[in-house]
Amino acid sequence: MARALTASTAKIRPFVAPVRRGGAGSDAASGGDRGERRFISNGMIAILMVIASEMMLFSGLIGSFLIFRLQAAFWPPPTLPRLPIAITWVNTFVLLSSAVTMGLAVRAVHQSRQRLTRRYLGLTLALGVTFLAVQGSEWVRLVAHGLKLSSGSYGGTFYILIGCHGAHVTAGVIWLACVAMAAMRGRYNARNAGGVELCAVYWFFVCAIWPLLFGLVYLM
Amino acid sequence: MSSTAAVAAHGAHAEHHELGFLRTYVFSEDHKMIARQFLFLALFMMSIGGLMAMLMRWELAFPETPVPGFHWMPEPYMYDGAIPPNTYNGMFTMHATIMIFFVVMPILVGCFGNFLIPLMIGARDMAFPKLNMLSFWVGAVAGVIMLSSFFVTGGPAAAGWTSYAPLSAVPIYTGVDWGQDLWCISIIVLGASSLMGSINYITTIVNMRTKGMYFFRLPLVIWSLFITAILLLLALPVLTTALALLLFDRMGGTHFFLPAGGGEPLLWQHLFWFFGHPEVYIMILPAMGIASDIIATFSRKPIFGYRSMAYAMATIAFLSWIVWGHHMFQSGMDPALGSSFMITTMVIGVPSAIKTFNWLGTLYKGNIHYTTAMLNALAFVAMFVIGGLSGVWMACTPVDMYIHDTYFIVAHIHYVLFGGSLFGVFAGVTYWYPKMFGRMMNETLGKIHFWITFVAFNCTFFPMHILGMGGHMRRIYNPMQYDFLKPLQGINIFISISAFVLGAAQFIFLANIIYSYFKGAKAPENPWHANTLEWTAPSPPGHGNWPGALPTVYRGPYEYSSPEVAEDYLPQSQLLEHSTAAAD
Amino acid sequence: MLEHLWFPHDISTFGPQIDWLFELIFWIVMIVWIATMITMVVFMVRYRTRPGRKAEYIEGSSRLEIIWTTATAVILVILAFLSRSTWADIKEHGPPGQVFYAVSAKQFNWEITYPGPDGKFGTKDDVTIENEMHVPVNKVVRIDLTSKDVIHSFFVPNMRLKQDAVPGRIIKVWFQATETGQYEIPCAELCGFGHSGMKGNLTVQSQEDFDKWLADQYAQAGK
Ligand code: HEA
Ligand code: HEA
Ligand code: CUA
Ligand SMILES: [Cu+2]
Repeated sequence: MARALTASTAKIRPFVAPVRRGGAGSDAASGGDRGERRFISNGMIAILMVIASEMMLFSGLIGSFLIFRLQAAFWPPPTLPRLPIAITWVNTFVLLSSAVTMGLAVRAVHQSRQRLTRRYLGLTLALGVTFLAVQGSEWVRLVAHGLKLSSGSYGGTFYILIGCHGAHVTAGVIWLACVAMAAMRGRYNARNAGGVELCAVYWFFVCAIWPLLFGLVYLM
Repeated sequence: MSSTAAVAAHGAHAEHHELGFLRTYVFSEDHKMIARQFLFLALFMMSIGGLMAMLMRWELAFPETPVPGFHWMPEPYMYDGAIPPNTYNGMFTMHATIMIFFVVMPILVGCFGNFLIPLMIGARDMAFPKLNMLSFWVGAVAGVIMLSSFFVTGGPAAAGWTSYAPLSAVPIYTGVDWGQDLWCISIIVLGASSLMGSINYITTIVNMRTKGMYFFRLPLVIWSLFITAILLLLALPVLTTALALLLFDRMGGTHFFLPAGGGEPLLWQHLFWFFGHPEVYIMILPAMGIASDIIATFSRKPIFGYRSMAYAMATIAFLSWIVWGHHMFQSGMDPALGSSFMITTMVIGVPSAIKTFNWLGTLYKGNIHYTTAMLNALAFVAMFVIGGLSGVWMACTPVDMYIHDTYFIVAHIHYVLFGGSLFGVFAGVTYWYPKMFGRMMNETLGKIHFWITFVAFNCTFFPMHILGMGGHMRRIYNPMQYDFLKPLQGINIFISISAFVLGAAQFIFLANIIYSYFKGAKAPENPWHANTLEWTAPSPPGHGNWPGALPTVYRGPYEYSSPEVAEDYLPQSQLLEHSTAAAD
Repeated sequence: MLEHLWFPHDISTFGPQIDWLFELIFWIVMIVWIATMITMVVFMVRYRTRPGRKAEYIEGSSRLEIIWTTATAVILVILAFLSRSTWADIKEHGPPGQVFYAVSAKQFNWEITYPGPDGKFGTKDDVTIENEMHVPVNKVVRIDLTSKDVIHSFFVPNMRLKQDAVPGRIIKVWFQATETGQYEIPCAELCGFGHSGMKGNLTVQSQEDFDKWLADQYAQAGK
């Protein structure tokens, strides 16, 4: 190109927005205007960054939990109710299988198989909701049995840690619902799969962190 | 993305009429406008944080005597103008909180990050303009929440900016009720804002560099902002955790930090400082980057050891994760652990040494132009060295036992944060002002401001080292209550007087910003004959930054006085005939 | 006035070691600082811009960088290891105690508990006095330090001694005063609106005076 120093006098040329909605779809959008080609889409970087900071959030909470857990003489304190292991095993299975269906949804969209995509997204959504519903009902029972936020570091860490994960699942479910709805309108295909991919990455994170929490809070 | 669509339709400058006032100046998605918004937010907050400081200095110099002109202040904030202890505690708490979270971070990260990243890497805008706008407005909301805490019953947070639990965890301990809650909420909200910002920065730097702009052709200020963004991204969530737990202790009846209920007071300190130490480097790294660029430009010389400068910043960033314990040497933390933190803390001086000496190396055999920006940048180096060196005493555990929580620490804080970060800010603002507002900043006013600030700053904060050695504790509102401090009161008075001068001097800076905006000389495209890309855009750049195609980069950012050309600078985007440096 | 521009008079056994380290660092830092500042100023004057002059195109020098990096690293690491032993003496082990107190901080006082004639804590002949700590000179004093509410910090400037008092834990502190006299025990950690002005008095006295004073206290307390 010519000396950019004098470029300002050159004729004004319109340009294309670097990013389109759905982030990952943006490679095509940010046409010849900028050079360095991208190996990874804006949206993908962003979501990975979000996950990185979420991991720090959880490690802060897990660290605090471990401090209390490791210096406690009795855990759980004899007066307080035990956590429901069996049903939570089932629930863990539910969440993990939702990760599988999500993976299948991504594969389907890469094959531009709209109906299959919708079906898998719907299934993932259903599993996610189930997980939340079970968690919710268990919480209600625990509170009824007298495990409160205020009942010592046992109650406190449990509700904060599991609640924080619950909040993330809820967020994931809402996002998933939006993606599913867009899929209903046939928005995604092999060339434009960004929306599904991003949501999937986040969902995988939410699922991946759970077994860790389950192991620490319920089984340990 | 309707705004960019508008550009597409109407070209660079038309869109201002297209968008209308609200979308252009208030809810703008243009990174340059957002940068200005951050700048003005920070200046405004600085006046408040500064006012707090001035009141504190009055109290320390003339304890329990009414502050002139403050008789109207209602009780219990002041009693006929005299400052009661709790108000004093509220003052240094808010002073520090505002200066750190609402002055230094918004300017260095918010303003310069937004303004420079797209312009210096050759992009039309940030990767996510909408997110960018949101980031500012969420930050502004956080500011409003923080300020509102001045007006709730019980007054603002008064547990120090470090808000050590249990003091901060139970209202009756401080007598502050809502103030502390609002403090926590405000900073959680601000955290969200910074998170959006840093995601934007990282994505933009990784993905939106123009043709030929490889990572090792990035200006050091971009390197510093990139590393800072990563630190923010990883450090803030930990603070959020701590604040959330604190809020639950205050409102939810939990006992995370209260030993009464099986809690652990030191947990707060570990969480806070695990964030806190990276935080302090978040506040210095961008200033280091700014200084590097300005020093190279005005020495008309390549920065000395470009790569090692970048690596040094990365090393500092990495080490900042394993030194947090140096704030807790006397906290009852296992002394053996203290020893290991001492070693890591000492080691962090090494990359800082690299940077310092490389700055000096840049001056060597240069052709130094003493503009206001350069003076401030050089002051940054000198003051950072003093602040950093005082860190060596504190890093030494036995010595820290004596100087911990004394004015020696306060001196350190201000040498690194005012002497470091703020001189970096002064330098950056004067240097990029022409690009930001299209007019040159007045050099005479600038030099007056610099000299008064430089002298008054040292008169204010250097004697604090002596106070600290005398054992003068921090966070006490009346030194005269202690026999062993009475002989030192003279120093306190001297400090306060210079502090008032220092404060007044800042209005010159402000006046200069306003004056130059209307009366300053029109800025040419490249007033400093600098190499980096932003100087190839018009001043100020229109929407989309470059009217024509994006510049292509052929070389590194510091090709000053290169033998290849006659002039003493060689812009990154300038193509030389039969040049060996290819774009790709 | 001038004698106040350095440390307060030291009356502890470990004080000299701390002051020595401080002064060692002082000289290292002074040399480094003066060296850097002189170089900076010399460069600033010598290489100020002059018409028709062009800067020399120098991109750096790995050799120099390696030199000053290693130099700094060596100095700092040596410093760290020098400090280690002193720190260990003061906070990790230290001599066996001869006089024992339990000090408990609360907003905004120091509660000093003397074990009473039987020399044991937790027995009913303990005597607790607020803000008045008397210790015999040249005896190793061991304190069990804790707090009843928030974090405070037990600070004796004349002994260079500082230790936070943390609720929920008992932290062991020791010192040995080498001179008799009256000293202050300010609180060094922000602990609320009374933080400023929270202080106790430390009286270091000869063994006889100390015994007499202690006897009086026990008598008053009816023990
Ligand atoms: C911008 C902010 C900033 C920066 C950059 C630093 C940099 C450093 N800080 Fe500082 N620090 C703060 C902000 C900052 N700090 C704040 C705000 C507090 C108080 C918090 C509170 O309690 O309220 C604090 C407190 C603080 C403490 C706790 C003190 C206490 O409470 O008892 C310690 C202890 O080790 C410390 C150490 C250091 C060190 C070793 C560095 C190093 O990074 C410095 C490295 C730089 C140099 C060493 C100079 C340049 C090097 C050379 C010229 C080479 C030659 C040098 C030698 C051979 C020695 N700092
Ligand atoms: C970036 C950080 C920063 C900055 C810039 C400052 C600036 C100043 N600080 Fe402070 N300070 C801290 C960070 C900072 N401080 C921290 C972290 C603490 C520890 C708090 C704690 O213990 O918890 C502290 C504590 C602290 C203390 C110790 C309090 C105590 O422990 O009892 C003192 C006492 O003198 C002090 C003084 C000052 C003074 C005189 C200034 C002056 O330099 C201020 C000069 C500036 C102004 C007066 C503003 C000028 C006005 C304008 C620019 C106009 C603005 C624009 C409009 C009007 C639109 N500060
Ligand atoms: Cu007790 Cu400060
Ligand atoms: Cu630190």
